[in-house]
Amino acid sequence: MRQLFKVTGALLRTLVRNRQALFWTFFFPVMLMVVFGFLGNSNFKLNLLVTGPRSGPEARIVQAYEKIPYFKVQRADRKSALHLVRIGQADAALLLPPASSPPPWHATLVYNSANLQTAQQAVSAVTSAAAEINLAMTGQHPYLVVKSEAASGSRSSTYLDFLLPGVLALMAMQNSLFGVAGSLTRWKEKGVLRRFLATPLRPVQFLGGVVLYQLVFGILSAALIVAIAVAFLHATVVLPLLPLLITVVVGMAAFLAIGFVIAGFAKTEEASMPIINVVSFPMMFLSGVFFPVTSLPPFLRSIVHVLPLTYLVDGVRGLMSGQYAAWAPNVQSDILALLGWFVLLAIVSTRTWRWE
Amino acid sequence: MDGVDLGIEPGCIFGLLGPNGAGKTTTLEMIEGLRRPDSGSITYGDHDLVRSPAVARERFGVQLQTSAFFELLRVDETIDLFASFYRHTLSTETLIERFELGEKRKAYVQNLSGGQRQRLAVAVALVNDPEVVFLDEPTAGLDPQARRNVWDSVRQLRAEGRTVVLTTHYMDEAEALCDQLAVMDHGRVLDEGQPQELIERRQPGAFIEVAAEVPITGDLRLPGLERVTHEGPKTVLMTQRLDETLGALAEWAKQEGVPLTGLATRTATLEDVFLQLTGRSLRD
Repeated sequence: MRQLFKVTGALLRTLVRNRQALFWTFFFPVMLMVVFGFLGNSNFKLNLLVTGPRSGPEARIVQAYEKIPYFKVQRADRKSALHLVRIGQADAALLLPPASSPPPWHATLVYNSANLQTAQQAVSAVTSAAAEINLAMTGQHPYLVVKSEAASGSRSSTYLDFLLPGVLALMAMQNSLFGVAGSLTRWKEKGVLRRFLATPLRPVQFLGGVVLYQLVFGILSAALIVAIAVAFLHATVVLPLLPLLITVVVGMAAFLAIGFVIAGFAKTEEASMPIINVVSFPMMFLSGVFFPVTSLPPFLRSIVHVLPLTYLVDGVRGLMSGQYAAWAPNVQSDILALLGWFVLLAIVSTRTWRWE
Repeated sequence: MDGVDLGIEPGCIFGLLGPNGAGKTTTLEMIEGLRRPDSGSITYGDHDLVRSPAVARERFGVQLQTSAFFELLRVDETIDLFASFYRHTLSTETLIERFELGEKRKAYVQNLSGGQRQRLAVAVALVNDPEVVFLDEPTAGLDPQARRNVWDSVRQLRAEGRTVVLTTHYMDEAEALCDQLAVMDHGRVLDEGQPQELIERRQPGAFIEVAAEVPITGDLRLPGLERVTHEGPKTVLMTQRLDETLGALAEWAKQEGVPLTGLATRTATLEDVFLQLTGRSLRD
């Protein structure tokens, strides 16, 4: 084990010294979040219908919602509001009680449940806005109480919150693939591997050191990206650390195994790059990093659904949005699927691996 | 590889001489435990190295032809890293001093010159205080000064009682450095022995290089003369009896009216041995 740690330590040192590589490792995901997060936020508005009187204290509630840029508020009567929500023309309808009843007013939020993502955003946004409105209005009693059936654990609201888990999963894939396939083929090519093989260091110790290094690097960089996103870009996510860590590690293990498979038959670093791209590009764009898999055409969806990155994105996003409880069945099945990929690819890589 | 049979005496500098692709590196790799021979045996003392290559990896020091290390690791860190793999080691300080890497101690491997890289590679090969050191083309691509330095450190290894096994395709290096030599080509050992012994056995004569205004052609009958070859404008005469042939050559030139413009004699070198063994020059 000591030798394995020595290899890991040496690699971490070289990593810290490779400023350029380090810069690009973090620059790309941060840029993604800044650009897409900004675009997403400015484009995405929740269509909210409000029923209720046009004057009196209740009207102030409607005005308060109108002031929040996240909502596109329109007035409607109760019947047409319900209809518009049902057919998907609006995301949700806030049904205020008839005028002249004393506060607190008990409102009901009816949302379109076809799109789970939007539905959750609607519920959480309207209820949290209600809390803010209550604070803003200086009454001793809360003015507004919003009742909603799907209130449990829906926190995700902005596109950035949606994107951040995807970016983490994407980084886990890219770092693992390029880290292993790229550097192992380079070391093979330049004779670094042979030199290690000529020592008592066992091959499994060397490779174990490389894997440990990749995991440490992957976890640290993920933590840094989350910190940047939360501190500077105001992402709001939940972080159930242990399940998140296990999901990410199992995901990285699966991608490291793919990296070993590629490094097995690629003879040079140049030869490994196009293979890495062929493997990673479809997953990068289809596996739900940037938009939900459900928006894909059905025939594609069934294929994409079994890709390793799809499981990783789903697990990480589910946990970070609060949609999945810590060890929810969905998290478990994502972890199991990634483990399956890992085992399968690890077996393949032992067949394809060549030391030279 | 084709029936290579070598015996290496402890405490000597053993050279494998041959062109690229002769099988020198492959031979070394099999002894070092990097490659498994299809058949045959390799023994070191009482150890069967084919069965237990781990013995080779623990006790031997190895400098590979392409000695690449992690580019962004410092010199001292590189030596430390390799030292951590062995039970018995020389101190990093000793090695840095011995190979004059003190100034470059904190330099990244990627910033070393060719000669410095070579010295680091040999330092790393010595990190386990090995009984046998394998050097694969230790002077390839080095300038003359750096080559001399490598020769000195190889001789120092022998002085310390270590056995050195090296490969080279430089004739002068093999002749100047090696106690024992095996000439290889196409995966076979063509001949082996001490360099001088090889030369005397294979090429006992001497060479006379003649330059004349007119190329010397036709039938030349001189006492002791064995062979006539032409190298550009020069004519090379190989003889078993240098003094007689020389005298007769001068006589012949006078009689025939061929003015000689240059004359040089030399004894045979490994180059000539190699030419005779393989039918081609090593430079090809």
